[in-house]
Amino acid sequence: MLSIQLVAGVSLLYIALLFMVAYYADKKREQGQSVISNPYIYSLSIAVYATSWTFYGSVGKAATTGLDFLPIYLGPSLTAFAWWFLLRKIVRISKENNITSIADFISSRYGKSQWLGALITVIAMMGIMPYIALQLKAVATSFSIITGYSNVSQAGISSYLARPGIVSAVILSVFSIIFGARYLVSSERHEGLTAAIAVESIVKLISFLCVGIYVTYFLFDGFTDIFSRLQTADPETLKRLTTIGNDKDLSYPHWFTMLFLGMGAIMLLPRQFHVLVIENSDENHIKDAMWRFPIYMFLINLFVLPVALGGILQTGSAGGADFFVLTLPMKGGHQWLSLIAFLGGFSAATGMVIVESVAISTMFLNHLVMPVIIKLQPRSWFPLLLINLKRFGIVLVIFLGYIYFRIVGETYMLVNMGLISFAAAAQFGPALLGGLYWHRGNKAGAVTGILLGFTIWCYTLLIPSFIRSGWWQSDILEKGPFGLALLKPTELFGLTGFDVWSNAMFWSMFFNIGGYLALSIILSQDEREKEQVKKFVDVFIPPADELHWEAKRLSKPVTIMQFVNLMAKFIGEGPAHTAIADYLGPREIDEHGGVSEFELPQLKRFIEKTLAGSLGGAAAGAIVESYLSDIGSKMESVYNIFSTVRTELSESREALSVRLKASLIMNRTLDLRIITFDLLELIRKEFKLDLAVIRIVDDSGVLETYSFSGTTIPSITERRIIPDINTYIGDAFLSNSPRFLNDTRNNPKPESREILELEVILSFAHIPIAREGESPVGVLSVFSRTIVGLFTQPFIDLLTSLAGQLAQAIKIDSEMKAKEQERRQKEEILLENVKVTRDMEIAKQIQLSLLPPSPPDLNGALIACRCIPATHVGGDYYDFFRRGIDDIDIVIADVSGHSVGAALIMAETRSVLRAQFHATNSTRDILAMLNEELYEDLTNAELFITMFYVKFNMASRLLTYASAGHNRPLLFRPGRPSCTELDAEGLILGVKRNVLFEENTEQLQGGDVLLMYTDGVTEAQNRAGELFGESRLCEFLATVCTEHPDVMIDRILREVTAFSAPEPLQDDLSLVIIKLI
Amino acid sequence: MKRDLKSSLLRRLHLNESWVIFFVLGIIMMDFPFIQIFNVPALLLGIPSLYLYLYVGWMVSIFVIYLFVKSVDHEDGPDGERR
Repeated sequence: MLSIQLVAGVSLLYIALLFMVAYYADKKREQGQSVISNPYIYSLSIAVYATSWTFYGSVGKAATTGLDFLPIYLGPSLTAFAWWFLLRKIVRISKENNITSIADFISSRYGKSQWLGALITVIAMMGIMPYIALQLKAVATSFSIITGYSNVSQAGISSYLARPGIVSAVILSVFSIIFGARYLVSSERHEGLTAAIAVESIVKLISFLCVGIYVTYFLFDGFTDIFSRLQTADPETLKRLTTIGNDKDLSYPHWFTMLFLGMGAIMLLPRQFHVLVIENSDENHIKDAMWRFPIYMFLINLFVLPVALGGILQTGSAGGADFFVLTLPMKGGHQWLSLIAFLGGFSAATGMVIVESVAISTMFLNHLVMPVIIKLQPRSWFPLLLINLKRFGIVLVIFLGYIYFRIVGETYMLVNMGLISFAAAAQFGPALLGGLYWHRGNKAGAVTGILLGFTIWCYTLLIPSFIRSGWWQSDILEKGPFGLALLKPTELFGLTGFDVWSNAMFWSMFFNIGGYLALSIILSQDEREKEQVKKFVDVFIPPADELHWEAKRLSKPVTIMQFVNLMAKFIGEGPAHTAIADYLGPREIDEHGGVSEFELPQLKRFIEKTLAGSLGGAAAGAIVESYLSDIGSKMESVYNIFSTVRTELSESREALSVRLKASLIMNRTLDLRIITFDLLELIRKEFKLDLAVIRIVDDSGVLETYSFSGTTIPSITERRIIPDINTYIGDAFLSNSPRFLNDTRNNPKPESREILELEVILSFAHIPIAREGESPVGVLSVFSRTIVGLFTQPFIDLLTSLAGQLAQAIKIDSEMKAKEQERRQKEEILLENVKVTRDMEIAKQIQLSLLPPSPPDLNGALIACRCIPATHVGGDYYDFFRRGIDDIDIVIADVSGHSVGAALIMAETRSVLRAQFHATNSTRDILAMLNEELYEDLTNAELFITMFYVKFNMASRLLTYASAGHNRPLLFRPGRPSCTELDAEGLILGVKRNVLFEENTEQLQGGDVLLMYTDGVTEAQNRAGELFGESRLCEFLATVCTEHPDVMIDRILREVTAFSAPEPLQDDLSLVIIKLI
Repeated sequence: MKRDLKSSLLRRLHLNESWVIFFVLGIIMMDFPFIQIFNVPALLLGIPSLYLYLYVGWMVSIFVIYLFVKSVDHEDGPDGERR
């Protein structure tokens, strides 16, 4: 016997140790380190599965019924095989949806159903009562045994037992509250709690191994010794305890039922779900836990049978076998060992109670309290209220267990109490598994299945447990209700031959699974459920890029601040702001503090998820929904243009078909009118729009309707729009990005409101028509009078892409037009040229006709003359005027340039000369007079004239001449070696108004040749740049002087042409030759 | 590239299927009628045969899981996140 003080003191010290461990882990967590984030701690925390039931109850069971204690631990080992696909999937889903408990998980899967969450919570709370009672009973009884207050035998629960029971209940409540309910957020890990649980797992394992080794190797001589001793002492007992199938309580169905319960319990018990899923910090830890946890189970069960058989051998019976672990060391006089054993059992019990109460209180708060709370007006003190309600939940759960313990505690063995809880948890199995892998599984099926299973459980297990305890007097166990033997709880519907557990499990699972399957097949899922199904069943299917788009939108935009205020009311200011800051990050916020229409549903989901982390998915969904409906906004389906058919391609089939048709339209013709009209028709008809308009910007920057299709709305189609940022169309054009409004009843721009209301436009979009990287050339506008929420991101993308193609077509069209214009201009220029050339040809003919057609006949002299214009018209001029029989005037002149102007001046000069040469006989006077007459015209035309004027008397053969800066004519006289140049002072005509000209005379003789020419002759250039020159001309003249003047001109011209060949002559050429006979 | 894809697909199939197969096999081995074979009141090596069978079977199953986990680790390589 140990003193109460010692045992209580050691227990308190142990609790203090746990506090320190938990405190240390929490402190580390605050410093950003995690002591629990490793596979060892994870595996150890799962071992919270091994409770005082394992510690004491297994031995009790092994001593009374034999090996059937084992399936409860073999089952979890088998389930561990499936963890890599099963548990990993659950963990992934839970992390992505901020799941807080198994009730949250299942209710979230079935459309965040509040009813389902509440149902599961109620079942869990009722189902777990016996289990917590079991722990309290184990602690209380073991305390009594070790301190000697109670006889080992079933002496009845005295008031002594109640005291350690209630004390441990209080201590456990406090511990759970401190480490499990410090904060409201339940989806986050509780580091301190987990660390403490891991320590407890080590303590209970070591403790049990110590006792096992003591019994097996110190009391006895190993395993074989125990078996052989019992074989000799009581072979019948050994046979009974080491084989199965002897009676209905140890039959194969019973074995299977136990295995099944164990397999389910490891995942479905709220605390197991909590440590496996909620406290998981890394999916990879699952892999290690898959073999480490079974090893733990193996080790803690290794000595169960030896201890049980050893106890029977030592005490002679299986009475009080539940506490062999304590009593055997005490009997052997090893008080310290029994204290260790007590601590092991204590730690097994406390670990379970702590985790279970935290897990269940979270469910209690989120699924029972929250549905009430959210009906109330949110207040600033809500966060405080909620956290305290959660703490209250912990106390409630533990004391419900305590009450059950006081009512039923004595009648049942530990194991049987635990099994009632296992059977309750198993009811969650079908809905959980179906929810993970079956798309069709729906809320109605889940609720019905769980409700039916729970009812059967109550009827076949819970109520009998009350009746057996004597708390409820009834004879339905023997006779059935109202004497109906068919409805006897333990042999339901006449199913006999089964043990209690198999009977209960068979019928509860039959109705549970049946109800779930039947209703899931008969009824369909609503929108909300469908959305959740994808998140759960298809969690490992990566969302295809770009495919994810909103099929929902908020009918009235909500600002970020509104959402933050909403969150703050439930989870407090600080966490709300931290969460939203994390979410927003680099996202864009518009000027009203909102996000874009496409982002809103996503933001809403984020708010729900954040709230779900504290309040559970169902409540969070309900809070957000009711808030939205309060402000008059709701989630509504966008009009689904692309239906629900989505292929693995990046676009829906409908979008592809529209694209295809559009490209056919674009390729069919180059006529922009036809393209635009056909395209508008296509868009309008495919998407059931009322009006589609294409506007193209003109040179003055005004957007003008180019083409439209649909209802004629003159105020839209006939409007010339000067792009302005304050209108949607202007904004779209100027910013080169689509602008649309899915519901014009909400916040239209003031500039557009009037026209939208007047024309009853419900939704519209303006898509700039622009090639990539270029500024827009127009705007594609679509309007709907009937459909709200038409414009989804993929629809806008499609329109943008079509507008891009259209921009290409417009570009091609304008390029073609520009080319056509250029071609026409060239043609006109060519035509003009031809015309000018023809005119010039005519001018040339006229000009040539102004020159004397043939030289006059003179007695005693031969004259020849020739003019070769370089271009069509020239400025060269020569003429002959007869003065009586013997006198002749010869003039040669050169107007500068070869332009039409020069030709006209030449013509004018000719007229003046012809009119005026009679006025005087003096050559110098004629030139002076001519200068005076022409001066103004020449100055205006910026031209001038060189002229040589000769008067020749045939009788006297006297040559009188004057020059106005002209090339000096050459006089060749036979017998002279070189030519004489005739020279007279005189300024070029048109330079000065009054000029004095010199007049010289020359006596000629027979055979003299006078050559008058213009500068085209002497300034002809050869390739080397040499001029033909006077001397060359003179020499050549000498060689041809014997010829007739006509021949001489021919020869000279040929010589000059040859000289400058291959270049054509650059200047007009004129020659006059007089040869005296 | 194609070969890599194929082998990784095969590997994945191989692994996930195997988990299920061993899971189911485990249930069968630990259940009727398999355990009936050992459900006799005889001592094997001084230990009751059913007791021995269940514990040895248990150990073997843990070892099998261990091997599988190691193969997953091996195939995942050092980055460990490929699957």
